[in-house]
This record gives sequence, C-alpha cells and structure tokens, in this order.
Amino acid sequence: MNDLNIASNPVTFDLNGRTATCSVPAMTSLLDLLREAGAITSVRAGCRVGRCGACNVLIDGQAMPACLIMAWQLPGRRVETVEGLGGDPDFLKVRQVLAEESALQCGYCTPGVALSLVSGLRERRNGTRVDLAEAVAGNLCRCTGYGGLKRVLDNHLNPVSSRNTADGAGNRNLISGEPE
Amino acid sequence: MTTEFRASVVTLDAGSDDSGSLTTELYRRIEGRLAYPTDLLDIPGLLQGAILRSEHAHARLLRVDTTRARRMPGVHAVVTADDVPGVNRFGIVVRDQPVFCVDRVRYEGDAIAAVAADTRAQAQAALAAIEVEYEPLPLVSDAMTAEQQPPLHESSNLLAQERFDCGDVDKAFAACHVVIEQEYRTPRQMHAFMETEGGVAIPDGTGGIVFRVGCQSGHRDVGQLADILDLAPSRVTVEAMATGGAFGGKDELTIQPAAGILALKAGRPVMIQLGRFESCRAGMKRHPVVAKMKTGCDANGRLLAHKVDAVLDTGAYASLGPAVLENYLDHATAPLYRIHAYSVSGRLVYTNNGVSGAFRGFGGNQATFAIESQLDALARALGRCPRELRRINLRTVDEPGSRHQPVRWTVAPVDLLRQAQQSPLWTLQKETSGRWLTGTGMALGAQGNGLGDGLPDSGGGRIALTPGGRIRVEFGFADYGQNVGEAITRAVSKGLGCGCGEIDVVLGHSRGPDSGPTSASRSSVLVHGVLRRMLPLWKAAVRQQAAVLTGYSLDHLAHGPGGIFHLGQRVLSYRELAENGRLEELVADAAQDFPVAPGQEKPVGRYLQLQIATVARVAVDRLTGRVRVTDLHHITAAGRVIYPPGYLGQIEGAAVMGLGMTLTEDMPMHEARMQRNNLDQYLIPTFQDAPAQRVDVLDDTPGNDPFPVRGVGELGIEAVAPAITSAIEAATGVRVHKLPVDPGVLLKGIHRQENLA
Repeated sequence: MNDLNIASNPVTFDLNGRTATCSVPAMTSLLDLLREAGAITSVRAGCRVGRCGACNVLIDGQAMPACLIMAWQLPGRRVETVEGLGGDPDFLKVRQVLAEESALQCGYCTPGVALSLVSGLRERRNGTRVDLAEAVAGNLCRCTGYGGLKRVLDNHLNPVSSRNTADGAGNRNLISGEPE
Repeated sequence: MTTEFRASVVTLDAGSDDSGSLTTELYRRIEGRLAYPTDLLDIPGLLQGAILRSEHAHARLLRVDTTRARRMPGVHAVVTADDVPGVNRFGIVVRDQPVFCVDRVRYEGDAIAAVAADTRAQAQAALAAIEVEYEPLPLVSDAMTAEQQPPLHESSNLLAQERFDCGDVDKAFAACHVVIEQEYRTPRQMHAFMETEGGVAIPDGTGGIVFRVGCQSGHRDVGQLADILDLAPSRVTVEAMATGGAFGGKDELTIQPAAGILALKAGRPVMIQLGRFESCRAGMKRHPVVAKMKTGCDANGRLLAHKVDAVLDTGAYASLGPAVLENYLDHATAPLYRIHAYSVSGRLVYTNNGVSGAFRGFGGNQATFAIESQLDALARALGRCPRELRRINLRTVDEPGSRHQPVRWTVAPVDLLRQAQQSPLWTLQKETSGRWLTGTGMALGAQGNGLGDGLPDSGGGRIALTPGGRIRVEFGFADYGQNVGEAITRAVSKGLGCGCGEIDVVLGHSRGPDSGPTSASRSSVLVHGVLRRMLPLWKAAVRQQAAVLTGYSLDHLAHGPGGIFHLGQRVLSYRELAENGRLEELVADAAQDFPVAPGQEKPVGRYLQLQIATVARVAVDRLTGRVRVTDLHHITAAGRVIYPPGYLGQIEGAAVMGLGMTLTEDMPMHEARMQRNNLDQYLIPTFQDAPAQRVDVLDDTPGNDPFPVRGVGELGIEAVAPAITSAIEAATGVRVHKLPVDPGVLLKGIHRQENLA
C-alpha cells in the first residue's frame, strides 16, 4: 500500500442491517473491503473505474459502484448488497422477473443490475419519476445483448415507457409490435 | 430444384418457460451465491499472485533481477523463466508462447515474472521492485508488411498460409459481365467478458495440484499444464468453473501456468485475477483481417468468379490462429452460394500486436461481412434487388458445400431468404429528411458446428445414481453463461420421464468424462448424441436391478417421475433403488465422435451447417454520423430448440456483440501498443445501444433425423455486421467497408451523397 493508506482508523457503518466496524486504511475501496474483509463476493470487480456496474451496492438506498467509494466515506452510511435483500419486496420482484425473462446468462453482472433496478423502484415508491432504462444504463452485460432486460422493463417493470424520446427515429420498436 | 416452403416458424419467447431447476439456478446467480473462480477468497492460506508484464512490445530481455522483490514484505514466492519446472512453452495449436520470457519479449503483455504475496497490494509492490533491463528491437506492427520484417520466431513471420481453389478463376472472370473489387477491414475486437481472466491453483499436499479456473477445456489444459509443471497428468486436476464470460477468450491458457508455478513454489494456494488494464493488454483479441475481394457475375447475376486475398494478424503467438485462418477461408468461399470458380487464399502473420485467438465466430463472421457486402455491390452494379441476386445463387439442400464436401442443412437456404423478405422491418417508412436517416438491410450467414476439417473431435459423458437416489449426469463442458447444464437437464428429464429437480449436472471436471473443448458450437450436438447412446444403457441397467428388487418382469417396467413404474404405478423410487441396489453397476458412460459426413477419408470443412438471416433497421444521425441500430430481426435454421431461453439469449447476445464490432469496438494499436485500457475507453454496447430483437426459428427437421440438435453459440454474430452496413447504405447511400464504422467517414459520405443529389 502506498503512504496515503498507512493510517487505519476504525470505520463504522450499517451493512445489510447490521453494524459493521473494521479497521482499514482510509483509501481502501468499499469493493475491496466487502470482498476481502467482509466475504461479500456478489460485489465484483469488472473495471475498478466505475464504468461497468458489476460492483454496485446501495448506499442509503442509491445504487453506486463500490470501487469508487472509499472507507473514509462510510461512517454513518447504510450499505446494502444482494446478500441483505432476501426480504426486500422490490428485490424479490426484481429477482422474479429477471428469472422469468431469463435476463441473465453468466450472472457475473446480475447482482449489480438487480441493485440498479431496486434503487429505481425505491425511488419510484418515493414518488420520483424514474426511467429504469436510465437506471441500468451503467450496467454492462456482455452475454445477453440486454434482450431479457428489455423484456423485464417492457413486460414487468416499466409498463408506461418513459424511455428517452428526444431522437424520434431511434425509439420505434416495431418488431415487437409496440410502437412507443 | 428448390424445396417448397414448409418449415414451421416459431418466434422465440423467453417468458413462462420454467423447468424448476432453471429458476433455482437463476436465483443463485441473481442473489450472488454462485461463486466464480475469482470469488474463491475463503480458501485457507490463499495467496494473491500477480504477473509482471513487458513494458516493451519488442525487445531483447537483458536482465531480470528479483533480489529486491524477494525481500519485500508479505512475499512468498517470486518466479521467472528459471523457475518453470518443465516446458516453458504453451499454445493449443503451436507451442510458441513462453510462460515467462527468456531472452526476448514479443508483445507489451508478455509475462516476465510473477509474485505471490499475502495481499494484492504486496504482490503489486513486489512486481514494481523487480528490475528488468530491455534492449528495444524494431517493431513489427503492420501485418501487411510483417513478412518482410525480421522474424519474431525461428523462421519467417508467415505462420501459416492456406488456399482453396475451385475451377479456373481467371477464365471465369473473363466471362463476367460485372466485377466488384473491394478491400475490407475488420477490427481487433476484445472479448470484454465481465470477469477477467482468473482463478486459483491449489497444491494438493502430495505433490499434485488442483486448478479452479475460468477456462474452456479442462481436459486439454491438463496436458499443457502437466508439461509446464513437469508433473504426471494424473497429478494435475482442472475444474473448469462457471465463469463470468469467455467467448473464446479463455480457450487458451491464461493465468494457469503462473498460478501453478507460484503455488508449487510457495506450497500454498495462489489466486490470480487480471486487472482490467492487464486484461486489455495481455488478453486475447479477435484477429483483425484485411481482405481484398474480387467477385464477378454474368448479366443475369449468376456468380461466376470469386477471388480472395486475406491477411490475418495473429500477433506475437499462434494460439488458435491457424484454425481461425482455416475457418475464415472456409467462410470466404461463400458457403451459401454457388460460384462457378474461386480462388481463396489467406496468410496468417506474426506481429508484435498483442495476441489474437479464438473469438465467437472464429474468423467466419469477418469473412461473411465481406462476402455479403460483395453481393450487395454486385446487385447495385447490375441494378438488381440484392435479395433477388441472392435467391438465384443460393445453394439447394441437395448440393454439396462450397468445398465440394457433403453438408447437412436443416432447411433450404432459399426458405430462410423468403422468410427474411417478409420481415416487418421492410415495411417501415424510410426517413429521408430531418436529423435521422433510416433504412433497412439484411444479410445471410452460414456456420458449421464442430472443430471441422478432420481434426480429432469427440466427447463423452456419464450418468450415475447417487447414494441419495439422485440422478447425476457429468460432462466435461464449462459453463460460461450459455447454461449448458440446463440444456443437459432438460434432455435427461425428457429421456427419463423424470422431473428436472431430480437431476444433478456436474460440469467441467478434468477427472470426469472428457467432452472436449467448450468451443466451436459443439456442446449441444455432443450432449444430444451422447445422451442418445448413454440413456438406453443406463435405463437397461436400472430396470434390470429394479426387476430383481420388485419381482416384476423386466419388459413391464418403465422409467417415470421419481423412479420405476409398473402399469402406471411407481413400484420403486430411485432412493429405494440406491439403498437396495448395486450402485456401482448403475453407471453408464458413452462417448461419440463429432458427426462428420459419412464415407469421407479426410473430412473437409464442417458437415452440420446452420444458417441465419439478419434483417437490421438503423437510424443514422445526419449531424454526427453516429449509427443507432433500432431493430434486429433474425431468422435462424439450426435444428430443434431444446432450451428456448438459452437459444434466444445466445442469438441476441451474439448479435449485440456483432453490433459492437460493427459500430464501436476496436483495440487500436500505436507502435504495437494497445490504445485502450479499460471499459470506459473500449466501448461495448450498453442497454441504451441495444436494439429491439426478434428471433424466428425455422425448423423442419424430421423426427428421425440423426442430428436434430445443433449448437447456436456463434450463429447470432455471423450476419450482423453486413446487415447493419447494408441498412446504413439503405439509409444514406454510403457503403462502409471498414469496421467499426467511423462516424466521420460516414458523415463525409453522406455529405458527398447530398451534394450529388
């Protein structure tokens, strides 16, 4: 570790409903902290630059890449991963529809996708207008071509499409017979 | 002769298809409970390994000094070429790649040394403390002139060349009414699997070693690893774990040699996971191809002559390059079309440009891009409809393949074309003014299953009853997302009349049956063939014991849910059978050779053929030249569908991968250095880039067809690129011959068209 990381101060935060305390260098990423100290391996390293979404977690309910969150930012925060969402109605719904539409293949990116959707559904509950297509735009998936995820949004979670329609030409979906 | 259209068409839908076991498996993945090789962090005593990569793309290696690194905190082992116990070379086709470089580095990702330490940070710090002295050598960075440069290996930079000829091509060109000559270029695409190359090597305490890794052929890797580690193959075990994507990029050995050597040296388990930077630099890529094509037809549009000269950049080492060259040329003969005479040749050259190897499509899709573009150009020159030009040149099911080999289609190519012509995408109104220009285009593609060309290709499986009364089915295939386990479960459930929940599928263990590599779209074909032999054997063994245990006559016993039935009543459960029977006899093994044409001394090309027609709709931004693919409609002919969500997902996923290759994906090189180092620079399609897709399956495979199931892992990528460029041409009048499409070039072309108009 480099010099910045020498100081290890205890950090206390809420992890999946339990108080977690650990002593790690301040610049340890939440990604490394969860995987290596917390044995939470659903949070995965895809790019470590915040681009791929494979390490998404919920911070105070908002989906964020854990690779960009450092230990010093954690005190007082509520961190959730899929391991802690077993009883969460939004997660159960997301889990059900992802499986129903076979919206995953290798599954490496899927916990991150699920958390983006849960985050969006929670915001909706709070009355915010949320475009779930935007919510998953930061989740890279190399296997599926997003076909299943499209069906999840179109058939289950996003009945009234709120996809961006700024460019008129791009948004027709005539193959499935559903002009928007 | 043309077959009348009679095949049934089914539009695939993933929803409401549930075998029970599927939901369980998908939930496991969604909940993050499926551990990938790089998630195995709780192995006791686990060390973290890291590999030192060359700073230069081509240099003499003068000195590697690890003295300081060995004394760094937390370091347990530092290894270089001197520490390779056995053969310091690997490669599936040609063993030309060093585990650790000896006196020369040939690309900027070449491995020089490796470290195992308590933490990743310590391992990285130790790497930085290794002193390396290089003497840079002149670069071989241009594939087109590589053969004139000093050789990177023993002999010339021409690693392989191949040529397929048919008839007198010069004479045929002389008879042509129209001839199109064009150069095509396709990119150095990166696999960009979400889980980078990684896994664990674990010493077994008795001198042997176990690998738990992301790979595509555990059995084959055992041979290479045993040679590298100087161990008997019986001491090397490879568990090909479910991995976060592969697409060909984990077919060759990746981290296994370094992890294995470190683990043996440290006497502790060692994990290596490449960082994304390192994966971009050191990992496999798709072969970039520069191809000159010349194709001619008579005044009626009948194809007479076709000539191809292609150069494939295999980079610093061979890997599967020679096989990719063969498949490229096979597809460059235009397998779907009748051509009077052709001469198709290609050269595979060494350069310092990284390493190219296996990648979904395996050279075929690069060739199909050029072939289909040529046909469109001929139609344009003749003033004919491109679909009509294709129709009159398509082969019938009764004709041999383009290399005169027997081939087996599942439907007549013309049926596929007819179906594509009926796509609703053709009826959409074309936007010709305003910001967006829209257009529809299509392309056809053919693809064969199996390793092909007479290469040794076979696979086996095993079925057994467990002591707990469960049905255990084993294959050597790896699951990297295609969920071959689900396809196996469904086939066994159907064959035994039992529930999917009664079956456990075990995959990818090198101590289990050898099924051959998980590549070349061969798994589904072999699973089907092996089960067809294996299940009757096992059923006979089970009924024999059931007859003894129940006293009923063998002839009146049948398999059903949960066990054995007599006159519709279950008389023995599998659990009772396991408890009272002779388990050791309730095992059946079977293996088979991959299907090739009967009676061929030396098989040529591939016997089992699949087809796809892709119709694409695009919108081109007149302000920026950017292209959006709004719709992709695929019509596939690949035999029976045994697992609809899997089939659909393979076609859709491969198509979007092809979309990426067409529009954004390339690893540009400058002086043999990769110019993109992460997913924020190398752009793969996102949710927002994904088109609406529809997959229609055309199938009239008769019930008694010996090969009703084909593998569709690569089919979806075959025709996407030319379908998109054809749609771009329909929208803008500009045809693009170099991928990925450069928005600047397209914009210039659009302006030129508009000035002409």
